[in-house]
Amino acid sequence: METALTSTENRIETLRKCVFLQGLGEKVLRELAAKAEMLRVAAGKTIVTRGEIGSKMYFIISGQTRVHHDEVTLANIGPGDVFGEMAVLDSEKRSASVTTQSDSLLLSIEREVFYEALSTDPAAFKAVIHAVLQREREIIQEVKTRSTKLMAYEKEMEIGRRIQADFLPKSVPKLDNLELAFTFEAAREVAGDFYDVFKLNSLPHLAIVIGDVCDKGVGAALFMTLFRSLIRASSLYGNMGSALLDTGSQRETISASELLLNSMLTTNRYIATTHAGSSMFASVFFGLLDPESGELLYVNAGHESPIIFRQNGETELLDITGGVIGLFPVAGYAVEKVTLKEGDLLFTYTDGVNEARNVEGELFSEQRILEVAAPRGNSAETFLRIMLDAIHSFRGAAAQSDDITMLALKYQTPGRA
Amino acid sequence: MATLNILVGHAQGNVPVTVLRVEGDIDAATHKILQDKAAEVIDTGSTHILLDLGGVNYMGSAGFRAIHAISNMLHKDDTPGLLKSTHLKLLNPTDPVARVIKTLGFDVYLDIYQDRDTAVNSF
Repeated sequence: METALTSTENRIETLRKCVFLQGLGEKVLRELAAKAEMLRVAAGKTIVTRGEIGSKMYFIISGQTRVHHDEVTLANIGPGDVFGEMAVLDSEKRSASVTTQSDSLLLSIEREVFYEALSTDPAAFKAVIHAVLQREREIIQEVKTRSTKLMAYEKEMEIGRRIQADFLPKSVPKLDNLELAFTFEAAREVAGDFYDVFKLNSLPHLAIVIGDVCDKGVGAALFMTLFRSLIRASSLYGNMGSALLDTGSQRETISASELLLNSMLTTNRYIATTHAGSSMFASVFFGLLDPESGELLYVNAGHESPIIFRQNGETELLDITGGVIGLFPVAGYAVEKVTLKEGDLLFTYTDGVNEARNVEGELFSEQRILEVAAPRGNSAETFLRIMLDAIHSFRGAAAQSDDITMLALKYQTPGRA
Repeated sequence: MATLNILVGHAQGNVPVTVLRVEGDIDAATHKILQDKAAEVIDTGSTHILLDLGGVNYMGSAGFRAIHAISNMLHKDDTPGLLKSTHLKLLNPTDPVARVIKTLGFDVYLDIYQDRDTAVNSF
């Protein structure tokens, strides 16, 4: 094969296949073929490097090569294609790098050789200029199409991000004996994470919500606003029979446990029936904390188990008490109870934490969360900073694929704060 | 190109059951293949589906959404009120898939079986 290709006739055939040289006559092709140099290049070798001045153009006889800017692939080209011609024609720096992806056979032609061959044939010169302009036009069109698509995509991402940011609480209630801290690190592609902290109207409890809506993009962001608002509205107003009662002097008494359950069932039923066709769901942890007693009532609907790091070194996982919400109109959730004591820290998070991956593809995992959190006594804020640093250093150069949302609450017995 | 293989089988229990044996990863790129195949068998008369997940090593949220959509197609004439689907059940999920099912609490909504005969006869 290699011997056959070294013959001038076969080289002419290779050059003739190239669109770029199709207007050239037999004589010019023969001259170029005779003076071209044949190269056998192993896979993975960079033949031209962006930014460098080059004097050769290359014709691919066999093998696949990649045209790229650093890591970004611009095109994959193969037999019959040419590269490096622009820098030869205009004597400017190489506009892109080209690296072989498989063992390749190339013909290279020096700038001087090229011009010399063309100088004897004005028609050939015209044909090459025509081909170059044609290619320039195609490139401009391609860049236009790509940037329009990219702008539409970026715009959608921007809308999603704005919706998400708008729906995170602007401020949270301040209580003397509770220390609250949050971390929200959005992924490039909008995900549906949310958290919320608010005081109930009818009870002294503090509501703590963290959730993750399935899917990505604007759709997920919109459903996030729906889940978050329904949970908030149903716990603030819905369970008192009527929102009007909130301003009246008489309040119905409803227990925190009933309120919690009712809020989850209402939210689930509303989305599962009104938006049944969307099949959108969320995992949600919803807790009601009595700041006086430290009693925490909670429902965990298919969410990563929040963890209580006890001051005395013990660890408790608040495992699921029901399935994800939003899919099936009839659902059942158990309300569980746990009590926070002096110095205990409640940590809730979304799967962007335990499922953060490093370059080897390993998961950060619940196990690593437990290890990082082993030392006790940190403030809620310090705790989250240490956790986030650990995630970042574990992830290394790997990309962030999901939102990282964390909420930490440190409890102190009232009066001791 | 992501692909998902679905083998359609039939079994007779108390009612005729269509068994969909799924092979591949069920994710954003493939979930529609499963959903379309289910729609096709429902269109041609299937009323009870057993989803055999023995060949699925990964199922993302798109997969769970597809399962919900299938359950909706099968239950469209039902009056609501049942917690678990009587028309759609799952068979033999692999460990990684079983873990996600447990994390999301999907076993609250769907029956899961390890043995095909028991599953078929449970409808």
